[in-house]
Amino acid sequence: MKITFDTQTLEINPSGDNYVASMDGQTVSVQVLRADATRGRMDLLIDGKKVTAYVSSDMAKRWVTIDGQTMMLTKTSGAKKGVRHDHAGGLIAPMPGQVRSVSVSAGDVVKKGQTLMTMEAMKMEIRIQALKDGKVKTVHAAQGQTVEREQILIEMEE
Amino acid sequence: MTSSQPFTKILIANRGEIAIRIIRACRELGIKTVAVYSTADKDSLHVQLADEAILLGDAAPKESYLNVDKLIAAATQTQADAIHPGYGFLSENASFAAAVESAGLTFIGPSADSIRAMGDKAESKIAMKKAGVPTVPGFEGLETEEEYRKAAKKIGYPVLIKASAGGGGKGMRVVNEEGELAEAIEGARREALNSFGDERLLIEKYLADAHHIEFQIFGDKHGNLVHLFERECSVQRRHQKIIEETPSPLLTPELREQMGQAAVAAAKAVNYFNAGTIEFIFDPVLSTFYFLEMNTRLQVEHPITELVTGIDLVQWQIRIAAGEKFPFTQSDFHQRGHAIECRVYAEDPSNGFLPSTGKLLQFIEPRGPGVRVDSGFVTGSDVTHFYDPLLAKLIVHAEDRSAAIQRMQIALKEFIVHGVVTNIDFMQAVLAHADFAQGKVSTRWVERSMESGNLAPVQQQSAELQNLIAAALADVVFTGSKSQSAVSNETDPFNPWKQTNNYRN
Repeated sequence: MKITFDTQTLEINPSGDNYVASMDGQTVSVQVLRADATRGRMDLLIDGKKVTAYVSSDMAKRWVTIDGQTMMLTKTSGAKKGVRHDHAGGLIAPMPGQVRSVSVSAGDVVKKGQTLMTMEAMKMEIRIQALKDGKVKTVHAAQGQTVEREQILIEMEE
Repeated sequence: MTSSQPFTKILIANRGEIAIRIIRACRELGIKTVAVYSTADKDSLHVQLADEAILLGDAAPKESYLNVDKLIAAATQTQADAIHPGYGFLSENASFAAAVESAGLTFIGPSADSIRAMGDKAESKIAMKKAGVPTVPGFEGLETEEEYRKAAKKIGYPVLIKASAGGGGKGMRVVNEEGELAEAIEGARREALNSFGDERLLIEKYLADAHHIEFQIFGDKHGNLVHLFERECSVQRRHQKIIEETPSPLLTPELREQMGQAAVAAAKAVNYFNAGTIEFIFDPVLSTFYFLEMNTRLQVEHPITELVTGIDLVQWQIRIAAGEKFPFTQSDFHQRGHAIECRVYAEDPSNGFLPSTGKLLQFIEPRGPGVRVDSGFVTGSDVTHFYDPLLAKLIVHAEDRSAAIQRMQIALKEFIVHGVVTNIDFMQAVLAHADFAQGKVSTRWVERSMESGNLAPVQQQSAELQNLIAAALADVVFTGSKSQSAVSNETDPFNPWKQTNNYRN
């Protein structure tokens, strides 16, 4: 079967007691030595080399740690490029948190670097600043509102 | 009250790992504990571990951990006889210490007067000069933007704006030019109010290339006061420490002696008792040091001092608060081996070290000889945006510095955190860096190294084959997915798909 994570597609199939995995013309044999679901731990033998992996799942996301390196993979339906909303014309929340203050409203003309909004998370404050000179189209978040990372806060007119 | 049990019950006015650290000390001393919590922390580890737990209010610190009236009411209600403030929150709030004492309870820390004297920069500077301790040039007690503007000009940019009541980098801003001043003041004020319940600020010269070296001091209520050597805390981002170690690779025995004496003099000048820390700014070129400030509380990084000196600071805090004499003198203390602490934060180094929140899908702490983990989280805990992003303190102790670095590198590799992005990979990069090995890391090193590419932000590279294999197999091995028709026909008893069923029982 084929499984795609982000933009990479892996083919993995059982072969006797083991598995055969291939990607980009590279084929390896994989054996599961042992697995511990509580700790999310697997000992694998990949082409004869022991690899210990910790994996956690959260919907389509997979957190994988091998040899101390942690990576986040997202399972996708096909090999299409990851869709990331373009925020060139707007401003998105760089972290999850709460909006502390909003200093502009729709129609305001702003200068590059001007602080439009301040956010706070974990007692740290950050400023949402205009990326370029322009006019505010819509303000999507109000003071006191809790926002998620990458949520659009302010849209600018093109 | 007997000497073996200084108090009957202690309320811990804090949360997270430090609350747990204090609960453990109390248990060892045979003292009952009362935890306090906000609605966001109702299932937290500190609430589970304490003998009793009292809900303070909503998640916002002002409604809970910073609410003096609610804390004192909780202590009275549970008949606690003392309050330990931990670090952060109200730990350096003199009015809180005074309120605790007026309520007939013991504040586990210094006197309200000492906190006030060191919390107020004007008073502390006068006291320090009198005590013969060198200080950083600056001004305090300013109000208007115009006053700050004039002061900054006089000192010369870059300047540092920071909360008078501050610590841990909260409410602190570096200002490189006049244009940034107004916003820096406003932001620092708000952070200060939120973090410490006190919005006073001060301004001083920003010494860019210096090291941060602090001295732990400890004294009783009978006039005995010693220092417990230094902690080198120069690995910082956003003025907040990430990695601390002791001994400092920079200090000679002569300098250590000199700074230790200055630290003791500084503390004695304000009649200090209990645990405290004298922070110095250290210029490695000239080998000069300035008193920066005193933290009148237990520090986050106290464990490294405990490991090299062999004393339990939290237990002694409690015993000293009950009036016991500190039985040791300066000559009883020696530095044994080398200790390092890494602060594991829920933050993303490749996203400007901004906080990362979420549920901990997996949280496995490393173990081994010389490895200590002080943490307040377990698998399944929620990391919320309301509080500090500190997940755990990983502390190691070894024979010498290089052995300690090695031990830390291995322990970090074995620390598994899934669900929030952490700075673990980033700390590995710092520990492996030649500048760190040579003790060349100043307080601005992280920022400068990130900018210059000397220490590249840890970006997620494209996944290697083994990562994809592990991710793909986990779906079947751990969840027993039925989508694999080829597999469901298997009859081999040793087939790993089959084994899955056992693990799921």
